[in-house]
Amino acid sequence: MLLYYVPSPTQAYATTQYIFQNVSYGTFLETVHLYTAYAMIMLAFMHMMRGYFVSVHKKPRELMWVVGMVMGFVTLGFGFTGYLLPWTIVSKSATDVGIGMIGALPQPIASSLTFLVVGSGTDAGELLRFYDLHVFILPAVLLVLLVVKMYMLESHGVSEPTTGVESLPAKKRKLIPIFPDVSFYLVELAALFGAAIILISVIFPLSLPQEYSAALAGQSVAQPDWYFLWIYQILKISAFEEAGLPVALAVVTLIFIALVLLPFIDRGKTRNIRDRMVYVTLGGIFVAEVAVLAVWGFLTPGRAIPDEAALLVLGGTALVVTLGSVVAYKAVFGGLRAFAKGRGSQGVPSAAASSSAPELAPKSAAMWTSCTFVVLLAAGAFFIGESINQMVSLVLGGTAVLPFLMLSLVCLSLTVLGTLYFLYRLDLGSGSIRRRVRAFEIGWKE
Amino acid sequence: MTARQTSSEGNVVVIERMAVRIVSLLLIVAAVSVFVLWSANAVGSGGETTFALFLAVDLVAVAMISYVERSVSEQGNIGRAPLIAGCCFVLVLVIAGIYLL
Repeated sequence: MLLYYVPSPTQAYATTQYIFQNVSYGTFLETVHLYTAYAMIMLAFMHMMRGYFVSVHKKPRELMWVVGMVMGFVTLGFGFTGYLLPWTIVSKSATDVGIGMIGALPQPIASSLTFLVVGSGTDAGELLRFYDLHVFILPAVLLVLLVVKMYMLESHGVSEPTTGVESLPAKKRKLIPIFPDVSFYLVELAALFGAAIILISVIFPLSLPQEYSAALAGQSVAQPDWYFLWIYQILKISAFEEAGLPVALAVVTLIFIALVLLPFIDRGKTRNIRDRMVYVTLGGIFVAEVAVLAVWGFLTPGRAIPDEAALLVLGGTALVVTLGSVVAYKAVFGGLRAFAKGRGSQGVPSAAASSSAPELAPKSAAMWTSCTFVVLLAAGAFFIGESINQMVSLVLGGTAVLPFLMLSLVCLSLTVLGTLYFLYRLDLGSGSIRRRVRAFEIGWKE
Repeated sequence: MTARQTSSEGNVVVIERMAVRIVSLLLIVAAVSVFVLWSANAVGSGGETTFALFLAVDLVAVAMISYVERSVSEQGNIGRAPLIAGCCFVLVLVIAGIYLL
């Protein structure tokens, strides 16, 4: 592709078209290139979330996590810069939206980043910089980061199973050599992955969209590629439009900062998934929200999202995932514990059976406790969302929303007071809040 | 000679044997691929699909070789089901490739 492609606004589309139509295996190469890039982004996301759920970010691998996250951002940078290169109407419009978002960041970050990616502001300067970033700079940065991460991997080794090596049966405690066992396994996966990408490329070959022109740009709806759709959908929420854009960018930036600094936020020592219900639930909410926002963004191109709809969909998703997580913990770990206790009574040693089982409240009390907490949680989520919504409207100049803001804050305060009172009553009943709370959160470890 | 030295030399012998077998198998796959792709004249009209299908066959063959070597090394025996599935998959791809020629 480097042999034929010319990074200039007048020739970029024509040379890309030439590759598609005249170069042997050109369409095949372009399709494989695109689908492999998609797979890279998806696999990087899956790798990150898998690492999150099994706590690979904990001591001593904190910096490995940070480096991995930076590698993830570089991967997204590949997607962002590569998308513009064919100079199609879709790619140029979406990139312009992205550059516009950079411009809404606080100074001097906005001007520095804009200069970095756009240069003098001309189309030629922009395309050349994207090309340089995509072909030379980002690969070099990724390579350096890869070397650093591999060095860290060599220093710390791969993370142990989350349950700890001690809990594994003696038969399974053997070390697996990197060669030949792991190497062959990787070759096997790589070959099957390559075959899958090739077959998908054959079944769904790529076709080139229309060329970009200023006249056509006004008629098309700017829509980023699927991996940026969830961010784009957040920006389309009515409260975050125009003057609210910096608030939306701050929200997205905070999400990324929280992900990078995760090892320094989640400092608990345990890595076992059954003892990390809160973080597992938060991870589940994050994955679900990203998926919902991406699909929603795909289905509503260019349409603003009313605040109420955003609140209902995002709040509803969070609530469903939270409930699902609570039920799953109760079902899986409660069930496992009962199973382990049964096995323990037959004389089979079990790590789970040896741990002290919590004293469960009567079934009806546990049910009422769960229901009350769910109602309080839902009310809290709703009033927090509504308060933020009204505050954003107030900042944007609408003083008419002041009574609604006051009402939301009063309701939120009542919910908080109600939660505190509920906890107080629970404490009166048992002398220990934590013991009662555990009645429906079996996964907690004291 | 210590026990560790004996074990290390034993590993080297096993790895050398495996390497010889793998290289032989890969050379056979490569020779067959070159012959098939050359005779298929995949540069012609519609040749991209044929080329891609035979390339996928090659990669599946490499994965199967890797699976066989890994299974022998790890467990000492080879599971039949993945091999039968792999062979069927290769057969389907080859038939599809020949049909498109």
